[in-house]
Amino acid sequence: MMCKYFMAHFDKDTLLHLKKLCRIDLDAEEEEDILKSLKRVLEYVDQLDEVKAEKTRPCNHVMNGMARNRWREDVPEELLSRELFLGNAPDQIAGMVRVPPVLKPQ
Amino acid sequence: MKEMHRLSAVELRDAFLKGETTALAIANHYLKRIEAYGSSLGAFLKVLGPRVLLQAEALDKKRAQGKPLGKLAGVPVAIKDNMHIAGETTTCGSKFLENYKAPFDATAVRCLESEDALLIGKTNLDEFAMGSSNENSAYFPAHNPWNLKRVPGGSSGGSAAAVAARLALLATGSDTGGSIRQPASLCGVVGFKPTYGRVSRYGLVAFGSSLDQIGPFATTVADAALAMETMGRPCPHDSTCLDLPKEHYKLTRDLTDVKIGIPNRFLENLKPEVQKNFLDAVDILRALGARTVEVDLDVLKYSIAVYYILATAEASTNLARFDGVRYGVRSPSAKTLDQVYDLSRKDGFGREVKKRIMLGTYVLSAGFQDAYYKKAQKIRTLILEAFEKAYETCDAVVMPVATSGAFEAGAIHDPVEMYLQDIFTVPANLAGLPAISVPSGYDGEGMPLGIQIIGPQMCDVSVMSYAYAYEQATKWGRIPPAFLDGGAS
Repeated sequence: MMCKYFMAHFDKDTLLHLKKLCRIDLDAEEEEDILKSLKRVLEYVDQLDEVKAEKTRPCNHVMNGMARNRWREDVPEELLSRELFLGNAPDQIAGMVRVPPVLKPQ
Repeated sequence: MKEMHRLSAVELRDAFLKGETTALAIANHYLKRIEAYGSSLGAFLKVLGPRVLLQAEALDKKRAQGKPLGKLAGVPVAIKDNMHIAGETTTCGSKFLENYKAPFDATAVRCLESEDALLIGKTNLDEFAMGSSNENSAYFPAHNPWNLKRVPGGSSGGSAAAVAARLALLATGSDTGGSIRQPASLCGVVGFKPTYGRVSRYGLVAFGSSLDQIGPFATTVADAALAMETMGRPCPHDSTCLDLPKEHYKLTRDLTDVKIGIPNRFLENLKPEVQKNFLDAVDILRALGARTVEVDLDVLKYSIAVYYILATAEASTNLARFDGVRYGVRSPSAKTLDQVYDLSRKDGFGREVKKRIMLGTYVLSAGFQDAYYKKAQKIRTLILEAFEKAYETCDAVVMPVATSGAFEAGAIHDPVEMYLQDIFTVPANLAGLPAISVPSGYDGEGMPLGIQIIGPQMCDVSVMSYAYAYEQATKWGRIPPAFLDGGAS
């Protein structure tokens, strides 16, 4: 009953940890609602405990015989222009994407 | 010629090729219909008015010059708004991508346009294709043309509603867990999810990469086949796209010696009217010459649990790219780089998307991955094996598409109940199988129902052919009464 053990431990602290992992800030109302929903979904998902699959190989590719590398000739293609790419950037400077400073001034 | 919205795509194309109408007249007819019905239906996020008129003028010129014309010449096609048309917005139904302009064409879009289809608009969807009712669109919900109070299904609800109401004759959808077939069923049109990899996903904004597949909505099976002949091509930009020559969809009405598998135990507990509709459909398949056999697909009862682990895990990594740095909306309150990520994702994503990213991150996180993600991958193998075994005794599996006809907007609050709407559609995604939704009649309240035909991998043509035989014997696909006339005068 691995999952049930985990599920029981899915609480506010788990959610706060997930917020960091996901890089998503949430307000209090959202936290409450998402916690409730995720607990409900994990409870449902727990039914997989019934299935014995220890010796089954995990499905890494759905298409038979397709789980292999696909090669193609290394031919240069027309690239998107810098202007086109930067056209979608929320902020830019001198032909580059601009973000707030990462290093604090000493 | 009948009013052009009463024609199929094949009929309208033929009328155009014969010179019975012009591309400009077609574009204007459909733009007028969209103007008249579009806002009450909520099917379109953007109408490509000026673009389609230019395209139509160019097509008329091409015809006048006697140049060869494409397979979709003059057919108005709508594109789900998670696929790129270069220079147009791709919002994915999300505020995050409100202003995002596609820098290139999706391969599927380019295929359609290279066959002279008229691209008429971008259709509404649940945000990032996450939903079964279209209520998760960040802009406005789409409605069901058979009853505007009801949902059109999701996530490709806008495409299904647009085709059902004849605001376009073909539309593209993407199907990760049923997002083409379920709305097709709820809106009474044909929806086809091809074998995984048949249509290139290049230029489709990714949700669950091992499950996503692009396919068509159409008013007839023959039209869906025509769209597949156009879109189902190898593509060097998608390494999972099948490297096979495109298929020719020869459709026949004869089902003699075709063996249809029915997973009786998996289908226990159907709602009575869905069950009756399904059994009636099976009787028709038998009358057309098919033989039925029982198949054991009991393991499919775990499909939704497996799906919501794998699809959210894949979504959590795919949606990591929306960080407010290179594209999309950046939160104006962000003062530091960390805040750019945290606040842009807070402001940009809707509730359901946040939930799924968090669930997917959880099932992949240290200490939980084996219990959830790996376990789900193993059960996915069991599901694949169960289908393989079933196909040793039958040519196709048949089941309903949805658990009911369209429900009222706002009727479902429990997340699990909403996810279970896809119980009959998710299995084909988990196993990479081609599956089609064909109209099979109406429920007691006049809402459309559909049956689903699921074939072995690569058997897209046979699936389409069986569906064609059923359709020709039944002709359930009708125009919703409120959209028969008007809007075009």
